[in-house]
Amino acid sequence: MNSPVIELKNVSVSYVHNTTGVYSLKDYFVSGMFLSPFKRKLVLKDINLKVYKGESLGILGRNGEGKSTLLRAIAGILSPDKGSVDVSIEISPLLALGAGLELELTGIENIKIYTALSGKYAKNSIQETIDTVASFSELSIEQLNMPVKMYSTGMLSRLAFSTVVSSQPELMMIDEVLAVGDKGFQEKCKQRIHQIKQAGATILFVSHNPDEVLEVCDRGICLEEGEIICNGTSADAVAAYNNLFV
Amino acid sequence: MDKAKGYLIYFLVYKNIQLKYKHSILGLLWSFLHPLFYLLIFNFVFSQAFSQIHHYSLFVISGLIFWIYFSASTNQLSQTFIRNAHLLKSLNVKKLLYPLSEQLTELVNFLAGFILFLFLMYYLGLDINWNLLFIVPIIILFSVFCFSLGLILGSLNVFFRDVGILWNTLNAALFYLSPIAYSIDIIPLEYRFYFKLNPLFHFFYVIRNILYEGIAPSLHYTLYCVIITLVLFMLALFVYRKTKNGFISNL
Repeated sequence: MNSPVIELKNVSVSYVHNTTGVYSLKDYFVSGMFLSPFKRKLVLKDINLKVYKGESLGILGRNGEGKSTLLRAIAGILSPDKGSVDVSIEISPLLALGAGLELELTGIENIKIYTALSGKYAKNSIQETIDTVASFSELSIEQLNMPVKMYSTGMLSRLAFSTVVSSQPELMMIDEVLAVGDKGFQEKCKQRIHQIKQAGATILFVSHNPDEVLEVCDRGICLEEGEIICNGTSADAVAAYNNLFV
Repeated sequence: MDKAKGYLIYFLVYKNIQLKYKHSILGLLWSFLHPLFYLLIFNFVFSQAFSQIHHYSLFVISGLIFWIYFSASTNQLSQTFIRNAHLLKSLNVKKLLYPLSEQLTELVNFLAGFILFLFLMYYLGLDINWNLLFIVPIIILFSVFCFSLGLILGSLNVFFRDVGILWNTLNAALFYLSPIAYSIDIIPLEYRFYFKLNPLFHFFYVIRNILYEGIAPSLHYTLYCVIITLVLFMLALFVYRKTKNGFISNL
């Protein structure tokens, strides 16, 4: 096959977090300023990963084992401490629940801001985008004109998902969004993901549902304590994931 | 700057203004009314005490509107990264765009009020002449000054949330230490040096040259303002670069 579109070489990412709950200067002085309140926690250790064009990769693992961090590192939101991340295709926004939604603003305003933030805003095609989102999300124009804070969780995820998939992305990253939404909408999302995949997009799919991973992805990895413990077909990854809970 | 970034800044500013005046009937008009109320209070409290100041209302207002711009923008910017945490965590957008759009929002706010105040200042005795145009570069310089200070506060606030609260408190002290309601002339000579350590002093001096005395700004003081702003701007970029990689894990 041709060269990978995403290549991670020995990537380590750590979070500087404070263990003692120091969130104020007062705490800082009280807990002794000679001891640094900030500790580094290694979230990803020496990750090596190659993803080729048109592949769909499922990412499995327990909560807090670095799945979202891996996506953020690939998206360029976090910079790794060590190693290199090379992505040669256009990255679309990370799709996580409710990310980027401004609760006080209306659905339509949110769609505009979201398209602007992802660098795809064009004045003449924005109405088209809004129509696409409206028809896919099955939200009425009346609902789209309401402030997003009045939406239910399901409606929020409909809006967020529909906005991101309204254009054909080159690289789509999905972080556990299918869990919400009713069965009908879940089916619709899966169909749309398949469509996007057929059109040649590369997909990174984080999920806790092994069935979904089997359905959507051809390859899979499983993360445990910041390391890739399994890198193979989606069936291999699901097997490794299930093994974690035995 | 490419078109996409332009749209982005436009929408961020639009969003900020929308959020600020959501559920408010008077909306942007508040950028005029807010300083006006202050002015009325000051007039009521101080005009007798400082009766030696000619055109006291005009004197106060020229400083006051800039003070409110300063205090609003630094306070907003100190929260900017925290408020936009959800965007920072999910989008690979240059982080500097958030404080930048926040500053532009405050600038729009300020200008909306400023234009109305020009009429009021004319009514209060401001001499309309070409020297007024000097205010344009001063506004730009002052904006860069506020932005730099705000960026430092915003970057540090991610790690220590009390930077924002502390700044809020210091604001009040800074207000009384800056010659806004009073003139520097009432300060005894031996203390004046300390007053001049306050960077705002120099800005207000220049602003009063233009908006109160109706003359060209003093070159000497303008130069001070330029130097202060440049140094602060460099410092702000330095602090921002040092801290920005830690934002995500501390938000």
